[in-house]
Amino acid sequence: MPTFRVGFAHPLEELRDEFDRLWDSVSTAPPLHGWGLRQRSGVFPAVHVSESDDCITVEAELPGLEAGDIDISVMGDELVLKGSRPDATAAGQAESGPAGNGEKHQAVTWHRRERGTGGFERRVSLPVAVDPQRVGARLVDGVLTVTCPKAAECQPHRVEVRSS
Amino acid sequence: MTPNPQATANDTSRKETAPAQVEPPLAFQPNVDICDRGTEVTIVADVPGARPDGIDISFEDGMLAVQASVAARRLPGRGVRQEYGIGDYRRTFRLGNGFDASQISADYRRGVLTIHVPRLAAVLPRKIQVRIA
Repeated sequence: MPTFRVGFAHPLEELRDEFDRLWDSVSTAPPLHGWGLRQRSGVFPAVHVSESDDCITVEAELPGLEAGDIDISVMGDELVLKGSRPDATAAGQAESGPAGNGEKHQAVTWHRRERGTGGFERRVSLPVAVDPQRVGARLVDGVLTVTCPKAAECQPHRVEVRSS
Repeated sequence: MTPNPQATANDTSRKETAPAQVEPPLAFQPNVDICDRGTEVTIVADVPGARPDGIDISFEDGMLAVQASVAARRLPGRGVRQEYGIGDYRRTFRLGNGFDASQISADYRRGVLTIHVPRLAAVLPRKIQVRIA
């Protein structure tokens, strides 16, 4: 016999949510399921790369990570971003409570898990070789910006034309 | 039994709007984790690049709406590769009734927004003691 559950949505809305979940499950790519919703590919992190006369700039969105969590290395014309995103943001709070108030362990039900966790390694090919000694990076509000000055031999040289 | 919160994508598009109403600009839908601990529902959203003073959270008729403004940023020089879009974030969640709107709290760190939505004490399950005569 069907029962009416107070507080639940209309059955058609629940069906719509089921379709939403089904779509989410097929539109995301391994290994970090759900991490590709805004990205064109399944790689993580997605990057922006730009080139100016003397510098290559790489930007990546790494929400939840601290500067110490990210390992950046450069060799020639390849930049490697390596790190790991812990599950502490949600799971830790779910287990210990938001304020650490010592409440008893409660059962946790996950309704959505779209944010990826775990290790990642992204190799980015740069247009030209850069000087690894002068590479700098900053992380602001989950956005990493890596500035890679071009190697001296790759920078444009202005050629003086002498008139006789 | 407590209401079961369900997140829905593009809920705002389902609301009937007056013809004269201006359509909101396009925004990205942030990835979220949603966990239910019984006493509260916690929503964790990735909103990298969002300005801390540009986050707007509202709760009305059982719907939690989250919007985060992202400051425009542009890399120097010419673009070589662009793998993601940059823009504001917007998403709504249908939580249903039984939540204490006055006690909703949120914090923002390192591009991650965490929202705590506590349930009203009246809807929490209560254990009834049975007295034996």
